[in-house]
This record gives sequence, C-alpha cells and structure tokens, in this order.
Amino acid sequence: MDEYKKFLADRLLSDEQPITYRLLSRALGIHVNTAKEMLYDYHTYQNGIKAESIHATYVVYGTKTQNNTAEDGDVEMSSSMPEHEPLSETVPTTTLALIRQENLEAALAEYQEVVSIHVYSLAPGPQRDVSLLYDVAKSLAEYTSKEDPLTAGEKYGTIRNLNVRRRDRQARPKPGFSTTSQPAKAQPPQAQPIVPVKSEPAATKKPSPFEVAAAAAKLKKQPSSQTPSSSETPTSSATKPTPALKRGGSGGIMQSFAKAKPPKPKPEPKKEEDTEMALSDDGEADDEDIAKEKAEYKDSDAVRKSRKQREEELRRVMEDDDEEEKSEEEPADEEMEEAPEPEPEPEEEPKEKEEEPAETTVTTTNGRRRGRRKVMKKERVMDEQGYLVTIQKPGWESFSEDEAPPPKKPAIGSSNSSTPASSAGKAKKPTGKGAQGNIMSFFAKKS
Amino acid sequence: MVSLNDVSGSLLHKPTDSAHSVGTRTDSQYKPLTTFNLSHQRSYQQQYGDMYFLRLTKIKPAVEEVAAAAWERTVIGDETAKQVERALDVRQGELCWVVGTVYMNLQNKPNILEDVSKDRWISKPDPVHKYFKEDETEEIMLEDDSGRVRLVGDILHKIGLATGCIMAVMGTENSNGEFEVIDVKFPDLPPQPERWALSGQPGTQGNGVKKVKDEDQEMSGQTGGKRKKVAIISGLAFSGSDASYALELELLLEFLLGEVLSPDAQSELSEISRLIVAGNSISGSDVKPVTEEENKNKKYGYDASAYNAVPSQLFDEFLAEILASIPVTLMPGPQDPANSSFPQQPIHPAMFPNAREYTNPPGSKEPGWLDIVTNPWEGEIDGWRALGTGGQNVDDVYKYVNSEDRLGMMEAMCRWRCCAPTAPDTLWSYPFQDDDPFVLKDCPHLYFVGCQPEFGTKVVSGPAGQSVRLITVPSFSATKEIVLVDTETLEVTKVKITAA
Repeated sequence: MDEYKKFLADRLLSDEQPITYRLLSRALGIHVNTAKEMLYDYHTYQNGIKAESIHATYVVYGTKTQNNTAEDGDVEMSSSMPEHEPLSETVPTTTLALIRQENLEAALAEYQEVVSIHVYSLAPGPQRDVSLLYDVAKSLAEYTSKEDPLTAGEKYGTIRNLNVRRRDRQARPKPGFSTTSQPAKAQPPQAQPIVPVKSEPAATKKPSPFEVAAAAAKLKKQPSSQTPSSSETPTSSATKPTPALKRGGSGGIMQSFAKAKPPKPKPEPKKEEDTEMALSDDGEADDEDIAKEKAEYKDSDAVRKSRKQREEELRRVMEDDDEEEKSEEEPADEEMEEAPEPEPEPEEEPKEKEEEPAETTVTTTNGRRRGRRKVMKKERVMDEQGYLVTIQKPGWESFSEDEAPPPKKPAIGSSNSSTPASSAGKAKKPTGKGAQGNIMSFFAKKS
Repeated sequence: MVSLNDVSGSLLHKPTDSAHSVGTRTDSQYKPLTTFNLSHQRSYQQQYGDMYFLRLTKIKPAVEEVAAAAWERTVIGDETAKQVERALDVRQGELCWVVGTVYMNLQNKPNILEDVSKDRWISKPDPVHKYFKEDETEEIMLEDDSGRVRLVGDILHKIGLATGCIMAVMGTENSNGEFEVIDVKFPDLPPQPERWALSGQPGTQGNGVKKVKDEDQEMSGQTGGKRKKVAIISGLAFSGSDASYALELELLLEFLLGEVLSPDAQSELSEISRLIVAGNSISGSDVKPVTEEENKNKKYGYDASAYNAVPSQLFDEFLAEILASIPVTLMPGPQDPANSSFPQQPIHPAMFPNAREYTNPPGSKEPGWLDIVTNPWEGEIDGWRALGTGGQNVDDVYKYVNSEDRLGMMEAMCRWRCCAPTAPDTLWSYPFQDDDPFVLKDCPHLYFVGCQPEFGTKVVSGPAGQSVRLITVPSFSATKEIVLVDTETLEVTKVKITAA
C-alpha cells in the first residue's frame, strides 16, 4: 500500500476529516496534479473495497451550452445602435464549478465542452455543504506558514513568475536561518533595553542575521533618543533629576520674561520672583524637551501639586496686577521723563519736570518729614520761531513723605516729587507710590 | 452534452510517474501613470468653482470645433446659425449656438443650499437610488462663467445628460427666456495614443528582448501565438461575517495560482499576466451602522473595540499568496479603507502587513509588484492605455439618467471627455485648483469600471478611428465572475466560479 493511501486512510477514515488536493499536496510535499491523481486513485480504490465509503467533489472547467455563441463583430455592432440590440456583447464564458459526485453526470450534461476535470476533495461522507471545504482550505496555512511561497510554489506546481520582486530587507529567511536570527536580535548593539514594541517588527520581518543587526541598530537609534517617552519604568528614575536641572535653566527664561513686565522694576522682590520662576518652570518645559516633560508628568502627583501651586500663584499675580495698575502708570511716566525726545505737545503749556535734587531743607514732625528741596526743573517752552525748547532751571519744591530716609537714589527721588504745576496725572503720583508700597508689602508677605 | 470520456484534460487516472511541469507566467508590460495622485500636502481650502472653469476651458475648444463643423452655415428659416461666446450673450429669437457646462436640477438630487438653509448637517446623505424621477419635469441648464440659460427641447430627453458635462447647443431663446434646443454636440472621443506610446514596444530596444519576441513569432507560427491576458476583478468583499462566497474566493485563489485544473488548462492560466482589483476588496457590510442610542453612550460616537480586522487580514493573506505568482494592481473602491472622495488615493500599505513585502519602497521609480494605485487609475498595460475606476463615477451618472445602460454611460463619459462629470456636484471630489484630471486628455484603449451589478462589454469607436473597449466589471461577491482581457486583441472573456 502506498504511503499516500495510508495518509488518506488516516485522514478520511480514522479522523473523518475531508481533504482537498491542495492539502494533500502540502502535507506530502508533492505537485498538486499528482495529488489530484492520488485523490482519484484512492477514491476508486477505497470505494472498490467498500462502496460509497468515500465521496468526491470534482472540479469541472469548461464552457456551458449556450443558446447563442459569442459574436466577434463588435465594431459594427456598436457603431449603430438599433434598439433591439443587447446593451452588451455576449462573451465566451468559462465556468469553473465544484460539483459533488452525485451531481456530476447531470452537471456534465450542461456543458458544451469541458476543458478539464479532476477530483477537488474527498470526504468520508456525502457532502451536503461544500462550503465546509473552506475550513479545510484555511487549515492549509498550518502546512505552509513556514515556507517561502516563492520557492515552495515550484514544488507544488504553482505557476511561477520569474519577475517577482520583493523588498529585500523584509525578505523571509530560509527556515534554517530563523534560528540564527533569533540570537542576533537578542543582543542589542547598545545596552539599552529593547522596547518590546520596537523589536517586534524586526521579528516579523525576519531578515538575515546581518540585516537584523543593522536594522536593530537603526531601530535602536531612534528609541535611544526617545526612550524616556516610550518606556517609563526603566528610565523614570533617571529622568527625575532633570527637572531640578531645568529649574535652574529655565530661570533665565523666566527672568527675561519678568524683565518684560514693567510693574516689577524693583530689585527687592527678587526672591519672590525666584520662587515664582521655580514654580512655573513646569510649563516652560514644554518648550524645552518633550521627553523630559513627559517623564515629569509620570510622577503625576508632584506635577499636579506644583501645577496647582503655579495656578494659584498665577491667579494671585493676576489679582495683583489689577492692584498694580495704578503703579504701572508711574514707571511709564518715568520713562517719558527720561526720554530725550519728549513728545511734542500741541499746547504751549510748559511741562515741568525735575531732576537731581540739589539741596533739601527737612523738618520732621510726627514721623512725617516735610521740607523743601532744590531741584533742577525742566521747562519746555515754545520759542518765537515755533520750536519747542527745553531748558533746565533750578527751582524749589516742597515735599512730605513717610519715615523713610531721604532718598539717595535719583530715580526714587524723582518719582515722589511733584510740582505745583503738576496736572491730574501728576497728582496721582502719591497714590502710585502708596500702591507701590502695597506691592512691596505683598511680596514681603509672601515670603 | 459532455460525458466523462470526452474530457481531454482529465486527471481522473492513477498517479503517473512522469513529473508534472511547473508553468511559468508570462510577464506583464506595465506602466502606471500618476494622473490621479494627489500631493501629500494637499489643501482643502479651495473653492470648487475652479474645477468647472478648468473643465470648460479645457474641453471648450474641442466642442467648438465639432460644433462649428456641424453647424457652420446652418440655415433654419431665413436665419444662419452663429456662435455666441457666452451663455448670457444669447439674444431672444436669434439662431445661435453656445458652449457650456450642463447643470441638472432634479427632484431627488442633494442640494447643498437646501441643506444649509434647513440647517441639516449630516455627514453622509441618505443613499438615493436615482436622482431622476419619471413623472417630474427636470430642469436642465447650460452655464458658463457668465451665467446660465435654461434649456428646453425634446432632444434633451432622448440623450442622457449629467451635471458637469460640456456640450454645445444650437437653438434660439424663446419668449420665456428659455433656450429651445434644436441640436446638441459633444466633444467626442479625445485623440488616442498609439499602442506602446508610453512604455515602448518590447523588442524595439535591446537585443535580449528582441530575441524573446522572435521566439514569440516563431511560436505564433506554430501554435497561433502565445496569448496574454489580464484579469480584472472587483468586489472581492472579504468579510468577517459573511462566508457565503468564501469557497469561491478560495477557488479564485487556486485559479490565479494555477493550481486548480489540469495541465493544459493550467498553461492557459499562466497566460494571465496581471490581476487588476477594481475596488471593494473589503466588505463594508461588516460595519454595523451605529444606532442613535448606542451613539449616546460613546464619547466620540466610535467604539474602537467594534473594529473588525478580519476582513483586511483575509484580504492581506489572499494578496500575499497570489503575489508570489502574479503581479497585482490594487485600486480602492467605495468600501475600501481609503478616502471617500474622488480621486481615491491608494490604500495604505500598512493595511497589508504580509502583502506589503511586494510593494515598492517609497520613492522608487519602478512600479511595485503589488502596485497600490488610485481610483480612478490610468496606465499602460501591454502597450494599451487603460483607464479604470472603482465604479463611483458610473454609479453617480446612473442616478441622473432614466436608463440602466451602464456601458452607454461609460461611452457617454468618453464622448464627454470627462471620466467623472458629476464631480464635484454629487460625486465627492477633491477641490482641484490647477488642473482637472478627470478631463480625458488621451483616449484609453481599455476602459473598465468596477463594482457594477453585472458584467458587460462593448467597443465604441470615435470619428478619428479611436476604438475603446468598455467593460463593466461585476462584483465578485455577487456574481463570482472574473473578467479576462486578451492583451493582443482586447477581446474579453469571463470565468464564472461556482461551488454548489
């Protein structure tokens, strides 16, 4: 008894599983046409022993009998379209049919010509539903999954194509190689832990060992820069120190930011600014390093906390800003004063401003200092030719202030001086100064 | 009537000792064009009006030529017909002809202005079988960049029209301000390139190739020529739930691989040099429409767990298996995972983890063994210029006309020189700004449309000797039919697979 008969007997009689010619061909590693013949041979052999024990399904390929044969004079047909003409040409149709052995005779009668016929499958019993064969066809993958379709096809009789092109880097390895490629993957070129997701494509591609190494190196390169973002557990501890580093670094950014804000020109509140910077640098991290930032988000508690703090801080600063608004005007004024080119005023009214107090006479009563001091006043007048001329002339002004000692810095001195001719804007200045005091106290409170 | 003894290619005998040969597939001369590829950095900011302008400017000279030849010195009554440049220049009572774009107002046609005014903002309109309605008088207008005139006349009902086609009409304006059409002209088929215009005939370059050709000729002396075929298929509709045609798909696979059948027939199968998949490879019926109630519970109206990867996996396995033997051109269709607006861009190769080995690496010039292309697609197959679509263009024109003749619609599109006239009105389209690729510059030799209800084919010819093979490719899932085109004669045969 031939080997294939044993196999078929096992499969059909013992396991009671249907089998197709393809499955037989894959299982035994033979040409499909030989498999078809074997199926036929076994079918006659087994049914010779015991009638109706094995049922076959046939493939019949050919032309069915038609009433009208195909016409070829299509050009003529389409040029003029009489109404009775069918919309489409009739074309020769070949039918590939799967037919159960019970229906074979009847089915063949429908054919005008049969080009080929062979056994498609055998089954242990009458097959009511041929679509069950689909499941058999699907199980074929068990036999073929390890093979390269390009080389295996020749063995089974698949029509080969000499021009087939595949991407080299993804070429499937010959079965022998697959074992060697495994260790190649296992030793990464760098000490970095392989992120499982990253290494999987390499596994499915199964390139030759050299290519694996190269590909792995390529793959590793990217993760190495992104590792903190893609894998949290091994690297989160490593990234933890980075926020501290950043704090120092981002302080610079914050400082420049602070400089742009006019309401904080005082050197005193520097401490507060520092804390604020430290708190807000979480936000700054967005600009710096996404990976770091991501890692930072991992210890979410800390982040959330600092976030909250920062938000609160921000809110307070905002409220503060409202209060400060008045004082904001003052520095702006100062700037104007110091501007070498004062804004041209349409009116002739001289605008007097003062500079560098020269002499002061001070009396202190009830903790308040009052007195007069000599200042240089700027006076702008329009001369005969219509030009605005600024002249400096010495003058006296009276002042009163809190217990603070007489200001030594010219900037402060100038800020709290007021002239008799001061307009409404000038009148604000004392309040402005008060507001500034409030800010100071605010900042002091905070620390 | 055939009895078992008559069958020539029978394998119903004992295994023979002689080894079975393995067929070698004929190679495919193939050169795809990138006519319908869109830039990756495309913008959707443009207005659609430019498309109509471009189409009119590109096609108008051709129509004018045809119209002038037909209507020059035509005298009706005492009047001689003369051309007017713009639709608004038509004067009442004057016999004249004018070129413009057809716009049709039909009862069931979706109307964006209506949607806006009624505050309807659904993303997908309800499918309409036909915009056309028998009992109702449709409005046909001819417009250009100056304005539009309403067309009346019996002739309009005899010919099929669709929004967006360019035509010339001759007639007069009546007292109602309507244009009474006496005759219409279309640009007719565009010039047809010679065979091998793009790829160059094999054998004219290089000695090696020539030898092959000589062999071919020798063979043709003996056996009547080695024929070459292209298989076109559509609507494979791989499905995760519907297995009613799964066995047919398996037989199709064996057919394409050349494993089924007997040696003689197998060598016939090796003549099939290429498989073209014209849309709907993956079934859309697996996607259950989300009901309103379900929708409420989900945050974004989409449940990722409902995604079924099986259809695309099955298709991927199918492709990976046949690609070892036959090159494939894959076009997307209405149900495939590609953009839904015309021109559909290639399905991303990431959908095919196994079959993508056969695609070309990005940036390579050579067409891939698995060539994932656009819909519509244009290219040269064995020297013949081929144009194919996934069927949306015909399906949409079909809704405009009172006819079932889809081949006639394909023919009309060729004669209109526009393969998607209803874009961008009722066929969703990319807003082209610089060029309307739907305008046919070259007349194809082979024009196939996928995902159609039934098979059909015919040849149409043009005034300058053009001849176009039209094919409607049926959905495999419904008809189990494969279309085979002989690439020497452009003759069509089909194969029907039954498993019952």
